[in-house]
Amino acid sequence: MGSDNTQGETKSLNAITPITVTHPERVDIDALRLFREPAWVLRLTIEGDRSYTRIKIVRAAPLSHPDQYISFLDAKDEEICMIDSMDQVDEPARALIREELDRRYLTALIRHVTSIRNEFGTSYWDVETNRGQREFVVQNVAENAQWLGDHRLLIVDVDGNRFEIADLTALDKRSQAAVEQVL
Amino acid sequence: MTLSAFIEDVPSGIAGKVRASAGSEEQVLIQVATDMAGRASFGKRFLVVTDQRLLVLDSATDDVDIPLTQIERVRSDALIGGGCLEVELRDGAPVRVYYSNSLTPKFAEVAEGIGLLIQGEDPNLPLELDRTHCAQCSRLLPEKGGICPGCIRKRDTLKRLLSYMTPYKARALLLVGLTLVTALIELVPPYIAKHIIDDVLTENGDLGLLYLYVGLLFGLAVIRWIGNVVRRWLNTWVGFRAMADLRADLFRSMQFLPLRFYDKRKVGSLISRMNNDSDQVEGYLIFDAPFVLSNATMIVGILALLFYMNWQLTLYVLLPVPPILIGSSLIWNRLQGYWRRWSARWARLSTHLNESIGGIRVVKAFAQETREGERFDRRNHALRDVSVSAERSWLVFFMVTNFFMSFGAFFVWYFGGVQILDGQLKLGELMAFISYLWMLYQPLKWFGDFYSFMVRAFAGAERIFEVIDARSEPFEDPRATPIPHIRGHVHFRGAAFGYDPGKIVLRDIDLEVQPGEMIGLVGRSGVGKSTLINLITRFYDTSRGSVEIDGIDIQSLRLEDLRSQIGLVAQQSFLFNGTIAENIAYGKSNASFEEILRAARAANAHEFIIGKNDGYDMVVGEQGNKLSGGEKQRIAIARAILHDPKILILDEATSSLDTLTEKKIQEAITRLVAGRTTFAIAHRLSTLRSADRLVVLEAGKIAEVGTHEELMAREGIFYQLVQTQQATSAVMATEH
Ligand SMILES: Nc1ncnc2c1ncn2[C@@H]1O[C@H](COP(=O)(O)OP(=O)(O)OP(=O)(O)O)[C@@H](O)[C@H]1O
Ligand SMILES: [Mg+2]
Repeated sequence: MGSDNTQGETKSLNAITPITVTHPERVDIDALRLFREPAWVLRLTIEGDRSYTRIKIVRAAPLSHPDQYISFLDAKDEEICMIDSMDQVDEPARALIREELDRRYLTALIRHVTSIRNEFGTSYWDVETNRGQREFVVQNVAENAQWLGDHRLLIVDVDGNRFEIADLTALDKRSQAAVEQVL
Repeated sequence: MTLSAFIEDVPSGIAGKVRASAGSEEQVLIQVATDMAGRASFGKRFLVVTDQRLLVLDSATDDVDIPLTQIERVRSDALIGGGCLEVELRDGAPVRVYYSNSLTPKFAEVAEGIGLLIQGEDPNLPLELDRTHCAQCSRLLPEKGGICPGCIRKRDTLKRLLSYMTPYKARALLLVGLTLVTALIELVPPYIAKHIIDDVLTENGDLGLLYLYVGLLFGLAVIRWIGNVVRRWLNTWVGFRAMADLRADLFRSMQFLPLRFYDKRKVGSLISRMNNDSDQVEGYLIFDAPFVLSNATMIVGILALLFYMNWQLTLYVLLPVPPILIGSSLIWNRLQGYWRRWSARWARLSTHLNESIGGIRVVKAFAQETREGERFDRRNHALRDVSVSAERSWLVFFMVTNFFMSFGAFFVWYFGGVQILDGQLKLGELMAFISYLWMLYQPLKWFGDFYSFMVRAFAGAERIFEVIDARSEPFEDPRATPIPHIRGHVHFRGAAFGYDPGKIVLRDIDLEVQPGEMIGLVGRSGVGKSTLINLITRFYDTSRGSVEIDGIDIQSLRLEDLRSQIGLVAQQSFLFNGTIAENIAYGKSNASFEEILRAARAANAHEFIIGKNDGYDMVVGEQGNKLSGGEKQRIAIARAILHDPKILILDEATSSLDTLTEKKIQEAITRLVAGRTTFAIAHRLSTLRSADRLVVLEAGKIAEVGTHEELMAREGIFYQLVQTQQATSAVMATEH
């Protein structure tokens, strides 16, 4: 019903073709212009077509592909377009994207674990992160810690704040021991 | 006009700054702290709003001071892991205050409050937000406004477990008494043996005395035997009952927990609490706990006797104890960690099991049996590994301890032997001493074992109590207004709601529904239609505004009265594993068979039911798996009809039915809904033909309200929806 077979592209039927989905608003990446005007309003213009203010930049897969598949949303949260990789845009735009993503994703990277107390199934963490020192509570660590790789760990605290350990083996020995004690 | 204020304490430096910027006649209305210094780092910053200006202050110097008249708009923007309060100005860069997710609810309120304030209205902020820290020990709370696990569980898990014995107090006390007595009786035989060796088995021994001693031994053995039989019997009797009570408590709590609780947990891990954790506790209560008492008595008794008999020798016996104690405390933490991990891995395994068996159809449809097997293996191996590690640590510790303990026996033989040769000690005394020594090792060794059982059982008990202590839905609230007969007037007043704070799904919902009116809810998938009706059933509470039924806020209505008069046919029809008749009568267990028949007929289910071999007695399988989607839906409708609700909710109730069957049910429903307030959700717009009014939701708000004709005449969103549906069915028709 909602499929695209009205688009009259006939294909030979003798070979099984993989299903291809073309975004209805496929945008020519070269026509994209991302800029601030005035300095506090982020705008996205598709050259010769349309322009958006108040856009949102989100990652399609923030955990598995943080630097790829970057999506631009309009004020109604509908997708304007997506770029598959940062390399598709020029350096000033890349810097803007980085800045916006940095602003949107408040995940803190844990650099050092000062202490983890475990009481009654709830653990109390005291850590140093790239955003500074922080204490947080995780209920049921086993359920709220997610391995993203062999040594990469995402921890979600009771309030939904996110903390990431990019590489557990790269932490100092004491931090590692503390984390391993609760996992 | 005095405005309501929302003030948090701030450091004196900040308070000074506020006084410096704001004149003394200005009233401070909002004063809150954020936990992020800028967008990049944690730290403290303060947002202060007076009736004149907005200040953003921190300990540094780059403070913000803006007159309220300059503010265009204030909004809270949800970010990932936090949020940002954005104050847009008439001109110039907006002011942004970042906060972590911990403060999202507060800042959502604050943003709303400032918004009202710049329109010259009362900011109307709640005077108190849910507490995030425990009032007693200032520990961070695992749940906002919840109970502090530290404070509640300091009341000792053991004590709490024992409290489950109180209903069986008489027998429990008898059990304790018997345990003490049998333990003490155990201590007597070696003492008699000593007398036999030293007093009877001598050159001029007395045979009469031997009769007496042997008789005594025999008598004690009989008493001990009887005592033990009775004790075990009592123990099982009390233990299993206490355990059943605990399980019942756990199950009750799970039933009464709000849906929010289940949003956050995995079903498998909850089930594992029921299975594993309660198994651990059961084993402990029934098999281990009684031994604690008897063994403790034995140890104390034996030590007392040993000291009494020969204190120097006793000191030698106790020589290995200090190193063992040090060793235990070293290994304690490690073992505890292992057991915790063990529990967690069990929960994970159980979650996976639950999922892959529950979703077996999907697994098979995608031929993923092997991969599921591999996933299971990974979890299973993880569990195996931690079990092995734990057991290994334990074993090493146990072996080393045992070895050291047996040193005591060497000491006793040596020093005791020397004392006998010196004539300071009699043979009987030494024999008794050695018997006691072995008797002492037995419970000590056992205590070691017991230790690990206890840790496991307590970890299990804690996890069970965690669920029992979680805040349940307010079913028992004595202040709630009873409402035995709902008329069916439903009124949304500025209701807003989001599943996660800061991520609003519905906002500004104002809708008044008259008793008996039928409302059709329309809107795109994910717009919040099901959410809207979740607010009527009070599965979730509004975060702003209210829902009133017959003029009373549903938050103050008796929950049981409310739910028992709402009939819900949910989007996913769920049936219980039972007969069709049982399922239809689920909401009214005392329904007569005639009533069930009538409901089934009304739902157009009767015909297909009697077509089944077992008719109404057919067992539908788990989740109703043996029925087709449309059949399940019709049974769910019959269930709601039999419930005879005052408010009927049909969430895509007929979506799996062909148009002909649907039409028949429509007629039945039209008959049924007469006099009942009805909310019907449907994507197939023809389903809603009989609705009195249609409500179109768009972007979380009510976009259009009116009768079918009115909305068509308006040529708005609804009109377009109808057009598209007609166009698609036309395309379908011509293609064939
Ligand atoms: N338990 C939940 N926790 C978090 N978010 C939820 C939950 N249930 C629904 N949502 C989200 O809330 C929004 C509204 O969902 P809702 O179920 O009300 O949609 P709907 O209008 O009934 O859609 P449909 O027509 O597909 O049934 C969706 O974005 C959904 O992802
Ligand atoms: Mg729905």
